[in-house]
Amino acid sequence: MTVQAFFIGFFGLAAVWFGIVVFRTFSMMRSALALLFSQTALGAMFLSMQAEFLGVLQIMMMATEMSIMAIFMVMFMMDPGGLGEMEMTHQKRLSLIAGFVSFVGAVAVAVFVDWGPVASTFPDATQQTVELGLELLDRSMLIFETAGITILTAMIAATAVAIEPEKKSVTDEP
Amino acid sequence: MSPELMIALIAGAALFGIGIYGALSQTNLVMILMGVELILAGAMVNLVAFWRYLHPDVAAGQMFVLIVMTVMAVEMAVGFGVAIARFRARGSVEMEEAVELKG
Repeated sequence: MTVQAFFIGFFGLAAVWFGIVVFRTFSMMRSALALLFSQTALGAMFLSMQAEFLGVLQIMMMATEMSIMAIFMVMFMMDPGGLGEMEMTHQKRLSLIAGFVSFVGAVAVAVFVDWGPVASTFPDATQQTVELGLELLDRSMLIFETAGITILTAMIAATAVAIEPEKKSVTDEP
Repeated sequence: MSPELMIALIAGAALFGIGIYGALSQTNLVMILMGVELILAGAMVNLVAFWRYLHPDVAAGQMFVLIVMTVMAVEMAVGFGVAIARFRARGSVEMEEAVELKG
């Protein structure tokens, strides 16, 4: 086993472990932090796979996203500290079966499909970023622009949904 | 097949399975969003692994990862918007209480 395989396995295991912790703890803060660690381990996994740009982007983006999520957790949960050990699950058995079947199915596809030969050459970090930049501004420009507009639309939609509706005062009525 | 690709695909499958469990079993809207995040994370690992070990010469593989990250951000933004609206209207984001959504 190569050093690269070891680190991919190590960070993969960390990502999966923290993913499990997300749904095993009663504390919502711990859940949000476990998801943050899981996503960070994923970023480290990308770095182990020599995808430098994507790895760094993943860590930066998820650190911000999960910090916001932690704030929302504290805002909306009835017991954010988890001291009451409140049960917040339903249809647990069905969910476990669905999760397990999905996992086994995906592993079966990974193992039994012939993925073809592994690439022998690999571009260095600078070349990767150059190629991605050219791809985004050339062949995939429409897709890239669509993603940007989608984010903008989502931001406007989320703000519009979240704004408190204006209350009609009695004096406004004719 | 290279062991690196296999390990990455198995980790992706595990994250996908955990995400499915979370999205189906949790009653709180924010926790359901966490499950969806893990499902997307599983997909992202697979995309990076396929690009790195099978087609590193095709930059579109990296572009797909950026699109998944966009989907994650959009899902979060809209999800939190809905959570705020729901909390304001009903005082809770527990989905067990959202019986009016039943068909």
